[in-house]
Amino acid sequence: MAASSKTPLYEASTQFKNWRYSPPSLAKVRASLNAAAVAVIRNTFEADEPGSSSAVSFLLPDEELLLVRLYASKIPQLCGFFRFPDEVEATAITYLKRFYLKNTVMDWHPKNVMLTALFLATKTTNNPISLEAYTNNIPKTSPSDVLDLEFLVAQSLGFEFAVWHAHRALWGIWLDLQAVPNAPPNGAASQSEIYDTALRHVRASRLSDAELIYTPSQIALASLSMASPELATEWAASKLPPASPSLSTLQDTMAVIRGLIEVAARPLDVEAVRGVDLRLKLCKNPEKVVGSKAYLAKKAEDERKTEEKRNRKAVEVQKAMTAGDPFGDDLGRLVDYDDDDDD
Amino acid sequence: MDAVEKANTERQKRWVKDQKVGEGTYAVVYRGREASTNRKVAIKKIKVGQFKDGLDMSAIREVKYLRELRHQNVIELLDVFSSKTNLNLVLEFLDSDLEMIIKDRSLVFLPADIKSWMAMTFRGLEFCHRNWILHRDLKPNNLLIASDGQLKIADFGLARDFADPGYKMTCQVITRWYRPPELLFGSRYYSTAVDVWSVGCIFAELMLRTPYLAGESDMDQLKTIFRALGTPTEQDWPGHTKLPDYVPIGQFPKTPLRDLFTAASADTINLLSQCLLYEPRKRITAKDALNHAYFFALPYPSHPSKLPKCAAQLTAALPLEELDGNTLNGKTNNRLKRKLSSPNETRSAIARRLDFTKPTPGS
Repeated sequence: MAASSKTPLYEASTQFKNWRYSPPSLAKVRASLNAAAVAVIRNTFEADEPGSSSAVSFLLPDEELLLVRLYASKIPQLCGFFRFPDEVEATAITYLKRFYLKNTVMDWHPKNVMLTALFLATKTTNNPISLEAYTNNIPKTSPSDVLDLEFLVAQSLGFEFAVWHAHRALWGIWLDLQAVPNAPPNGAASQSEIYDTALRHVRASRLSDAELIYTPSQIALASLSMASPELATEWAASKLPPASPSLSTLQDTMAVIRGLIEVAARPLDVEAVRGVDLRLKLCKNPEKVVGSKAYLAKKAEDERKTEEKRNRKAVEVQKAMTAGDPFGDDLGRLVDYDDDDDD
Repeated sequence: MDAVEKANTERQKRWVKDQKVGEGTYAVVYRGREASTNRKVAIKKIKVGQFKDGLDMSAIREVKYLRELRHQNVIELLDVFSSKTNLNLVLEFLDSDLEMIIKDRSLVFLPADIKSWMAMTFRGLEFCHRNWILHRDLKPNNLLIASDGQLKIADFGLARDFADPGYKMTCQVITRWYRPPELLFGSRYYSTAVDVWSVGCIFAELMLRTPYLAGESDMDQLKTIFRALGTPTEQDWPGHTKLPDYVPIGQFPKTPLRDLFTAASADTINLLSQCLLYEPRKRITAKDALNHAYFFALPYPSHPSKLPKCAAQLTAALPLEELDGNTLNGKTNNRLKRKLSSPNETRSAIARRLDFTKPTPGS
């Protein structure tokens, strides 16, 4: 079969299929998640005490994002401490960002989600450490803080653990450049500086939305163009025919990504984040706060449902036994999603 | 309920568990079906709660790789959902594996049949390797057979990706009889060649109908290999005496493969010998194997639907169909009943229904 008919590997990935957005669609996802969460939490407040929700100032989508970004920026620090490779760091940050495209910080605080995302990333990138070694080295963290959320995080990721990273693409471009006649990296100190600078930009890009919008190679090329516009141009020229219209499109894309990276590289306004975090304490979903009235009510409701199901099952088995066929007469009734009898 | 939880419940409802078919230390396997189409599936339920480090590595590996891979010769992961603290993998349903078929003494293999299984194995493996994935546990019972005869590589619990040279990996992989000598000598830097050695062993096993290199211990495995293929010289395999766990095993003469594989064609012997080269860098790649003269020479590979099937697979197919038929509405039921009159037709009906494979990217 001709090589041209083959799908590029990247386009067969779950990242390409399920985790790419346009800037407006990204904003829409976040806005609707936020709105849905606020509606649910408002109801819970009202059920607890009518009128109590009117005084609450819920977080806005941008404020949620700010908080996620703050905790994403903690991941490199932890990775430095544990000496985890780049792969782990980049994967954990991706997991954290993807998690908050399916969940809201008002339900799940990013601090614990961040710790869980990082622990999960050590395993999915084949750099596992024991949970004990992990939590013992993080202040005020118990194994259950990490484990309780692991399943939820994995589920939110759609169990799609493989991530394509810009730092790998940058390395690929760097290797490519060795074969470009006009621009071979010559191993001089100034050259490796270019690579290191580009890698720093790639790392900064992780705190932006770039990876949810652009391909790893686009981000890598934009990062390289910030370190050395000449090398980036040479590389692009080696890949595209001269005067190709794609070249100018590429230039525009690069400019947008550079903008994202520059913004992401700026230090966060810690005061603003602290303000958001304080308000979060007041507006987070009470059903997720252990010990609160709403939490207890939800727990009781869940237990009641389980009990009901158990009773219903017992009655059905009884009925089937008396009907003479212990396996029941309708296959449809074998459908029991919580069937854990074999555990 | 959270959106994520809701989505999970939706997924869960798509699949029905019918019957437990197997139980391992960490997973229970059910036969099931897709509620809307009655397509048969296998549901592998992995108990997660029992691990102190959370989701365990083999489950993570299996999910990670199968989520990304779509190929006719790789088992398809249709869905993943959770129930309480269990992870459920919904996999395409496959009735048998190559080990069962090899062991079924009532079956006769033609050279064209063996060529067909080898082609499908190499196609699936080439796809894995093209995606930078090492399988690291190829053996006949991890090569599953669909009712339409298609062979699918399964069990990615030991798989890993590879990219940069010089990245240290564990040598404690691959079931002993299919493990290449470099791993037995403790090599921590290896490549796709480890999987190709396993395929070579499977190739030989298809011809011999018994495991080719069946060592009784890791040490005995090397001796068994050397007894069969001759002790490698420095010229055969430069540098092997420097490997971490190298020990001299003894001198065995090289005997031509032809002496054991008396009925095999020259092409067959050539491909087999290239899969079983000592020097991993010279061992044939999956891609080159697919272009080997063996696959272009007569006899051509058998069509998958014409391959030998084991008796268990054939008899199992009928009651299952009846079972499904009971749950369908009258109209479909009639159609199925008519088909049941002939076992041949029934088989093709199953094959068609199972053939939901989308156009495979890159095949």
